[in-house]
Amino acid sequence: MNVMKRFLFFLAVLPALWACEPEPDNLRLLDQLVVSTNYDPDTQFADFGTYTIATDTIGYVSNTSRDTIWTFTTAQPYPRSVIKAVREQMDAKGFTYVDRDEDPDVGMNIYIIENLNLFQQVYYPNYYSNYYGYGGYYYYPIVQTYAQNTATLVVEMIDLKNRNANNQVKIVWNAYMGDVVNSVNYEQQSVDAIETAFDQSPYLH
Amino acid sequence: MKKLLTVLFVLLPACALLAQENYFYINLDINTPLANTDWVSKTSGRGGKAGYRFMIGESRFSAGIDFGWAYFEEYAPTETFDNGNGHITTDYFKKLNQYSFAASGQYNWELGEQGLFFPYAGIGLGALHNEYVMAYNIYEDVDKGWGFLARPEAGILARFGKRRSMGAMAAVHYDFATNKSDAYGYSSYSAVGFQIGIMLMNR
Repeated sequence: MNVMKRFLFFLAVLPALWACEPEPDNLRLLDQLVVSTNYDPDTQFADFGTYTIATDTIGYVSNTSRDTIWTFTTAQPYPRSVIKAVREQMDAKGFTYVDRDEDPDVGMNIYIIENLNLFQQVYYPNYYSNYYGYGGYYYYPIVQTYAQNTATLVVEMIDLKNRNANNQVKIVWNAYMGDVVNSVNYEQQSVDAIETAFDQSPYLH
Repeated sequence: MKKLLTVLFVLLPACALLAQENYFYINLDINTPLANTDWVSKTSGRGGKAGYRFMIGESRFSAGIDFGWAYFEEYAPTETFDNGNGHITTDYFKKLNQYSFAASGQYNWELGEQGLFFPYAGIGLGALHNEYVMAYNIYEDVDKGWGFLARPEAGILARFGKRRSMGAMAAVHYDFATNKSDAYGYSSYSAVGFQIGIMLMNR
């Protein structure tokens, strides 16, 4: 078999290798958040009329930060944007906003769960050690670090009207929206996702 | 005379085939799924087959091993699913990634007297691995498993010249496999495929 034949044969390998599993078009998947909503089937949402919500602060849960809240600033308007979006949707559903001290029926709770995972791989290039301990070569290893950072936006509706005997409250509706970190435009997509969450929950009012 | 002609008709192609004791091939494989077309239905050119086959003794039969892979992907626009006590809204990609191993046997003929064209028909028996993936945003739901594979196949080998060991290969095949996936609605798997590529004969 001469070199030309080998070349032609392996040239034919190329289109076949092209068939190996490619990744889906990420941008197409990342241009909107996945919106998952759940509700308590025992709750009569029609019994609720008023709600309350924080004005400038959302919760923040992270495995890389001790912060527990995320407060609006002009440089970081995200908390106010999502609060405003939830308020608009609640108002559209017929709920009435009241202050916390006005005995609201439900409380709306918003927070972000951020999770950073780090993966490390260590490569030892050209590592060779002579069996007898002579003539061994050693190169410093290469450490490759991969980071995956994900975040989920959570909106919860808490029943403040029907507390149990121990004064405990129950979450009667929630919406999980992700992934915020890898989205194309996280602020606008979060607002859109909140709208979708309420749209797919017609039982709320 | 009639017997003599029959013997010649049978033996001559076999003798011609004897000269090509074995061959390797690598093909582009274009597949159309036939089972559960709600998941993936479109023809995909993202596939390949490669293998090695050898003639058995002085007969017209050959045997070998085949390795195949195929990938299907379809985009599903935004949809809202009911999950009991709630809903989920997303767009997603439906993916089927598969590879297979098969031991195969063929019966070969010769077309013409030049020793250039060899049609064949055969069957491969082996295993198929299917991986069903629903990819949405950064998330994936995956189900995978092995099944028994039966693959009837008919094709033709065409050498580029009398004195050349390289040639082209084309075949059609039907795949049936016992792969099941309750999550993705498969009770079995089947597909029809067309493969075309290059082969290398060792003489």
